Amino acid sequence: MALQELLQLEKHASFGLKSVDDVELSEEIEELNSEKLTQLPITPFTMNKNVQLRDSNTGRHIHINMEKGTTTLAFKYQGGVVIAVDSRATGGDFIFSGSVKKIIEINKYLLGTMAGGAADCSYWHRSLTVRCRMYELRNKERISVAAASKLLANILYNYKGMGLSMGTMIIGWDKRGPGLYYVDDSGSRYSGDLFSAGSGSPFAFGVVDTHWKYDMTDEEAYELGRRAVYQATYRDAASGGIVRVYGMKPTGWVKISEQDCKVLHYKYADEKMV
Amino acid sequence: MSNSYPVNTGSSVIGLCFDDGVVIAADTLVSYGKMARFFDCSRLYKVNQTTIAGCGGDYADYQFLHNLIEQKQIDREANEQGVDLSPRALHSWLTRVQYNRRSKFEPLWTSWVVGGIDEGKPFLGFVDKLGTAYKDSIIATGFGTYMAVPVMRKFYDDKNGRITRDEAIGLMKKCIGLLFARDCSAHNMYEIAVVDANGAEILGPLRATHDWSNVKEHRTS
Amino acid sequence: MFKEMQSLANAQMTDASPHKVAGFYPYADNGGTLAAIAGDGFVVIGGDTRLTTGYQIYSREASKLTKLTDKTIIGSCGCWCDSLTFTKGLHIRLQYYLYENNKPISTNATAQLVSNMLYQKRFFPYYVSTIVAGLDADNQGAVYSYDPVGSTERHRYRAQGTAGSLIQPFLDCVLGRGNQTAPEPEKLTKEQAMIYLKDAFMSAAEREIGCGDFLQIMIVTPQGVEEERFKLRKD
Repeated sequence: MALQELLQLEKHASFGLKSVDDVELSEEIEELNSEKLTQLPITPFTMNKNVQLRDSNTGRHIHINMEKGTTTLAFKYQGGVVIAVDSRATGGDFIFSGSVKKIIEINKYLLGTMAGGAADCSYWHRSLTVRCRMYELRNKERISVAAASKLLANILYNYKGMGLSMGTMIIGWDKRGPGLYYVDDSGSRYSGDLFSAGSGSPFAFGVVDTHWKYDMTDEEAYELGRRAVYQATYRDAASGGIVRVYGMKPTGWVKISEQDCKVLHYKYADEKMV
Repeated sequence: MSNSYPVNTGSSVIGLCFDDGVVIAADTLVSYGKMARFFDCSRLYKVNQTTIAGCGGDYADYQFLHNLIEQKQIDREANEQGVDLSPRALHSWLTRVQYNRRSKFEPLWTSWVVGGIDEGKPFLGFVDKLGTAYKDSIIATGFGTYMAVPVMRKFYDDKNGRITRDEAIGLMKKCIGLLFARDCSAHNMYEIAVVDANGAEILGPLRATHDWSNVKEHRTS
Repeated sequence: MFKEMQSLANAQMTDASPHKVAGFYPYADNGGTLAAIAGDGFVVIGGDTRLTTGYQIYSREASKLTKLTDKTIIGSCGCWCDSLTFTKGLHIRLQYYLYENNKPISTNATAQLVSNMLYQKRFFPYYVSTIVAGLDADNQGAVYSYDPVGSTERHRYRAQGTAGSLIQPFLDCVLGRGNQTAPEPEKLTKEQAMIYLKDAFMSAAEREIGCGDFLQIMIVTPQGVEEERFKLRKD
């Protein structure tokens, strides 16, 4: 208003502390571009294990149940990499879903696995997918598994200690042959021949460590992955549902099988009786 | 964290839609903890001829928001003559302000009952310190949710939702009387804000009497 | 900086307060239940209209469903102030989409947008349960469910909210039919889906204090969105 401006009056006097106007009181709705998608806002409050939440009115404890609980497994052998996972997502004691896709198809030559917070994994793998595609367009060649996993590790390191929960494998095939990396929420990244993550991983490790041989045929390797995850669904309450097996070959990934662990249970039980 | 607890507080606010308007009532006491500290602080606010509001909780936060709303109304009068701040607009604005402040961990420790005439119809809404908001034909905050709501609900249902202005004012007086008798942080001096097609006014300050007969009427044992 | 912020968030009882109040907490659990069933050429989504805090009922007529487009509905419940803010923010984004693309957003694009928006608040989440129900590009019913930080999956049917853990097993029984030997029932009709939805909420209202008053149902078909209200227990 003209008079207001002439007199240089503040519309809402702040008295020094801070300006109080509608901008201060409202939240901006920003465009969700790719930069915004990676740079999450840090707020005065951060969901992490030390923060105890209560209901503002009743004082009761509030639990924000995020989907969790898993067995994921990946190992190298002479023919490439086998990836096997279950499909159960739990929140507290409740099974949120029995049909989660814990193998994330980043592109034809890259796979990621999901253990820990389901939202964390799917979001950052999606973000990784964008970055890998951008790399391809800029450099006219596919990104290496080492580089892809490092992109993810660098992002996670930036959010270290802020409550993200992820234990993920990046599996691919590039110029150097089969690649297998493990990346987690602490920002660490390891290359190796065998990884397993999630609450059911001790059981899966037991099976794979016992029977693994480098010279396995494709079929033997797939069956070992399948068997290991099945045994984990059998002994770990937080794992279950469908056992999915993928293979990584020089031509990209192949979906091998998706079977209900109930079907596998009776199949293996029959084999024992013979 | 300049203000993460209330200091000087007002107690319940109650509100009700009647046939062609809205009433809101609140006492005029502001307490400091359990101490009755200031006896004649109005917690009802006539924004304009169509909109009224009542506020419980921290009185300083109420005064802060009161100033902002007052300025909003002045801006309207200056710039958009004839376009008053409607109760629906005020309710929505308060919800956003309260939510944004709670998200900054600097809550405005208040709960609001906003009423008025919106597009010819009675409007009554609630907002609290988190930005929780809803609209209803009967609203109470604080102790009023336990003491006044059942009485208002019964009256409302007995009349099939058809209540005259005088009946609504009578009901407010009765409910304030009940609160005065049973809520230890309530007071016998109170105000009633009424809005209908003819405009808004604040009645009072009025006095509730030490009359326990209407309390006994609602006793179950 | 980060440590400071955390200690702020952890601030509990404040000595200076003349009241016996615990420190400020930004969340409340306002209850509410949602369920949705998808079929061939339709999807139905229901939500109760009770709004609570603890044992106290704020309102019996708070709608948890919002129509986004002629093909998409969103249901949101949990911390009511977060639900309100989230749906409002979503509305704004959908308006942007409409102006930029000159067409209403599709159901599966909405589903992904909702997930991204929820994850944007990963470090200060919206404490909400969300269901997006709508018709996909082939006019098949689609139901997407979300956890508070945006983990999502497409389902055939889904229940969420306070009575979600009561309704989901019921829907698993009548619609999922896992491990059942009885012959597969006929193809699910819209009418049958409505019956299941009403049965589910009626039963949930018997056993869950946070569920009751009214069931608001939105029915999405290629012809548009219809709405129905169904009375539930009020105690």
